[in-house]
Amino acid sequence: MTPIQLLCASLACSIVAAFGSLLLSRAENWAISFAGLGGLVAAVLGGVAGASVLSGAPLVLDVAGPFSFAHFIIRLDALSGLMVLVISTLAAVASIYSFSYVREYGGRGVGPMGFFFNLFVASMVLVVVADNAFWFLVFFEMMSLASYFLVIFDQDEEAVSAGFIYFLVAHAGSVAIMAGFFLMANAAGSLDFAAFRATHPSALVASIVFVLSLLGFGAKAGMIPLHVWLPRAHPAAPSHASALMSGVMIKIGVFGILKVSVDLLGGDVLWWGIAVLALGAISSVLGVIYALAEHDIKRLLAYHSVENIGIIMLGIGTGMIGIATHHPLVAMLGMLAGLYHLINHAIFKGLLFLGAGAVIFRMHTKDMDKMGGLARTMPWTSACFLVGALAISAIPPLNGFVSEWFTYQALFAAALDGTFLVQFATPIAATALALTGALAVMCFVKAYGEMFSGLPRSKKAEQTTEVPAPMIIGMVLLAAACVGLGLAAPLVVPVIGGIAAAILHMPPASFANGVMVLPGDPAHTLLSTPLLAVLLVGLATVPLAISAAFSGSRANRRQAAEPWACGYLPDAHMTVTAHSFAQPIRMFFAPLYAVRRTAAAASEGIERQFVKLVSLARRGEPMLDRALVGPSISFVGGVGKRLQILQSGALSTYCLYIVAALAILLLITLR
Amino acid sequence: MPTLTQVSLAFVQALLLLAAAPLFTGITRVLRAKMHTRRGPGVLQDYRDVIKLLRRQNLQPPAAGFAFRAMPTVMIAALLTIAMAVPVLTRAVPIPGLGDLITVIYLFAIVRFFFSLSGLDSGSSFAGIGGSRELTLGVLVEPTLVLSLLVCALLAGSTDIGAMGEAIATGHVRSAGAVLLAGAAAIFACYFELGKLPYDMAEAEQELQEGPLSEYSGPSLALLKVAMGFKQLLILAFVFAIFVPYGSSSDTSLVGLLIGLAAFIAKIAVVAVVLGVVENSVARARFRLTPRHSWFGLGIASLAFVFYISGL
Repeated sequence: MTPIQLLCASLACSIVAAFGSLLLSRAENWAISFAGLGGLVAAVLGGVAGASVLSGAPLVLDVAGPFSFAHFIIRLDALSGLMVLVISTLAAVASIYSFSYVREYGGRGVGPMGFFFNLFVASMVLVVVADNAFWFLVFFEMMSLASYFLVIFDQDEEAVSAGFIYFLVAHAGSVAIMAGFFLMANAAGSLDFAAFRATHPSALVASIVFVLSLLGFGAKAGMIPLHVWLPRAHPAAPSHASALMSGVMIKIGVFGILKVSVDLLGGDVLWWGIAVLALGAISSVLGVIYALAEHDIKRLLAYHSVENIGIIMLGIGTGMIGIATHHPLVAMLGMLAGLYHLINHAIFKGLLFLGAGAVIFRMHTKDMDKMGGLARTMPWTSACFLVGALAISAIPPLNGFVSEWFTYQALFAAALDGTFLVQFATPIAATALALTGALAVMCFVKAYGEMFSGLPRSKKAEQTTEVPAPMIIGMVLLAAACVGLGLAAPLVVPVIGGIAAAILHMPPASFANGVMVLPGDPAHTLLSTPLLAVLLVGLATVPLAISAAFSGSRANRRQAAEPWACGYLPDAHMTVTAHSFAQPIRMFFAPLYAVRRTAAAASEGIERQFVKLVSLARRGEPMLDRALVGPSISFVGGVGKRLQILQSGALSTYCLYIVAALAILLLITLR
Repeated sequence: MPTLTQVSLAFVQALLLLAAAPLFTGITRVLRAKMHTRRGPGVLQDYRDVIKLLRRQNLQPPAAGFAFRAMPTVMIAALLTIAMAVPVLTRAVPIPGLGDLITVIYLFAIVRFFFSLSGLDSGSSFAGIGGSRELTLGVLVEPTLVLSLLVCALLAGSTDIGAMGEAIATGHVRSAGAVLLAGAAAIFACYFELGKLPYDMAEAEQELQEGPLSEYSGPSLALLKVAMGFKQLLILAFVFAIFVPYGSSSDTSLVGLLIGLAAFIAKIAVVAVVLGVVENSVARARFRLTPRHSWFGLGIASLAFVFYISGL
């Protein structure tokens, strides 16, 4: 089968799974199994389709479709292949996970959940492969809608309100994207992306299109300041859906920015890259700062998505700077870093959301202050979450580190020989990335520590047990991917480098050599994650040997009665909570939190205004009734009443009318 | 692939530094005693302490789990890896593929991650606060460290630590003012990381009962004590490799390596005295006010950046 056929088969599977799940919604267990299995098969097919076009010529499928103005065109090129692969990987894992996880929602409509979940996956795949603006927008809307229904699935006040904000922002974004596409279509004379690529709109139009798509896709990506919906909507959805939303859907925002500015517009304007870089730096620092203040685990993870979108944008922005300043190496390094981090974030954020979901599955709370000590009762979940936490904190040799390393190298290469503006902007961005890295370490020590370490802080936490096997398998797969994408960097980097080269229409450069990866020029520097891993593991034998050498007369490890508390009796209230752990940061970075309060107040203001608008409309509607509809009805009725006088019912009168009419007509014609 | 010579040289270097760590801390103890006009315990006292502790029983709080038990091992493994990555005896990095600026900075993050996590895992409030402080300090210091070292790397044209040291040592840098300022900022940031007075925030003895160390005992404590000294030595080696690589060998001949070793010992000795004087003549900074100090460091780093951009 060709990749396109595989893709179509995958989409068909998703749709069958979706409707099957809906039809089976009475028989819940069947619905869960059908949706999960269908989703899994669809994801495997999609993954193979995506993987097979990573290094090859783009494949295009052009079907006339029902509309004369827009052909239904699918284009599977290196970038969309990568996106399909990422979407499918996460969808596969989420489907496996859903076999057990969705039972939690038994009796609350698991059929519709499977329907929306599979529809969501299918629409995401269709968005990234669509090669026509009209269909792109259709699938983009479908994606937003399907995820909206997943967000409001719980139907409680929080979920509905989060869904509302999400709905609003998603549609405002769609409008901006639509406006941008129509401007392009106006210049190109067609809605096909192929035509968009061929035209060269004037600089002003191109910049307007860029700004519109940056706003529209930025809102979808959750970049600051358009992120308000993200920390509310992602936590509200079921965890396997949050994993997909945070892991993949927001990447479609980044994909869109990349698609419009580089693929469609050529990306030859310096300030575009600088703008993306600046927004990336702001999003990364503020995202992690806000994450640190959270004690709701899913909100914490959602804020981290804002941070990581920022890091991806640092890479993409540097790539765009490279294009604009005609530095092929900088362009390629930037794209490589951005795309690598895009994959990595999908994997570890997916893992962390699934881990959080597993804990919530047992604990029925998202509050980290009520957890603690779960490593003992949920060892698999804890180990997987730890891998995810290490990866997202960019701890070498895991995958998050490799992509951040490339981001630093891209920024460094850009700073090394650039114009003044670039030289000024890139080191500041690198400093922001350093601050982000340090804050992320703190945040995930806190998250892992509060959830899994120490003593259980509630009865429920004591009584937890490990989650069922499908959930563990899902998490273990992603944890293995985190390790694999880090250790196998010398194998992964050439593939992603090839995709970067394909996007930029440049000959591929060599970014790997044996067990090393390098930022283009070997004189600069090298990195070898396999070597790091071997040393880190191997050198652990040294302290173990030292300790063992003196173990002769030593008694076995013993457990003390309680930790030292200066002679006081320690109790649970004394231990460090999620709140107190981050207290120094909240104190030192107080002004940045004040910004958020203002922003939150603004977004609540918008919501309030909207509610007012709705109630106004509700009041307005009857008013309109009274003022316009009512009078016109009574007017028509009145006229009818008057006319009734003419209708006497007597035949002679009617004959008189006819004669009179004939006479009048005769008079008119004669004149 | 790195050659066997490279790996064995790096391994010997790492073991030497690990073995010398208690000596280094012993010397600082003696210096402190001299400044207090006490006789002091002798420079070998820390070896005796470590050996004594290694024979004792491991005692752990009831809450402690995997993270608590694994931390000393993980910490020393990570530090040994850093010791194999940073050029000490030679001018060039011992193993290519490890000695990148960013890699080394992020390797230190492993140490910070597990050190702080063990604090939370112990279930002790002092240890937890110590962990929180350790990470906060990292947050405050990291931007200064990266910005100042990035300026040096830009001047040297490479983020490879060996190449950076070579460029600075031979004066092949565009802007001397920027190097001096960046050096000052980086050294200031590294001083924070040393965890010495006035910035011994995480393991403050009187204030936090030694922070994350407070619940450790026996062999774990012994390993940790070694690790703390080892980490200080490595931070100094890191600074030397970039800013004062003088004396270190440009090849791998035995004579060259021995000269490099002698030069390193001399540098450490000088710095130990300076550190001893600083450490014993100041009071602990208030934790709430540390951002003021770190902002000052970031200010210097930014100034170095401005100097670099304007080419002064």
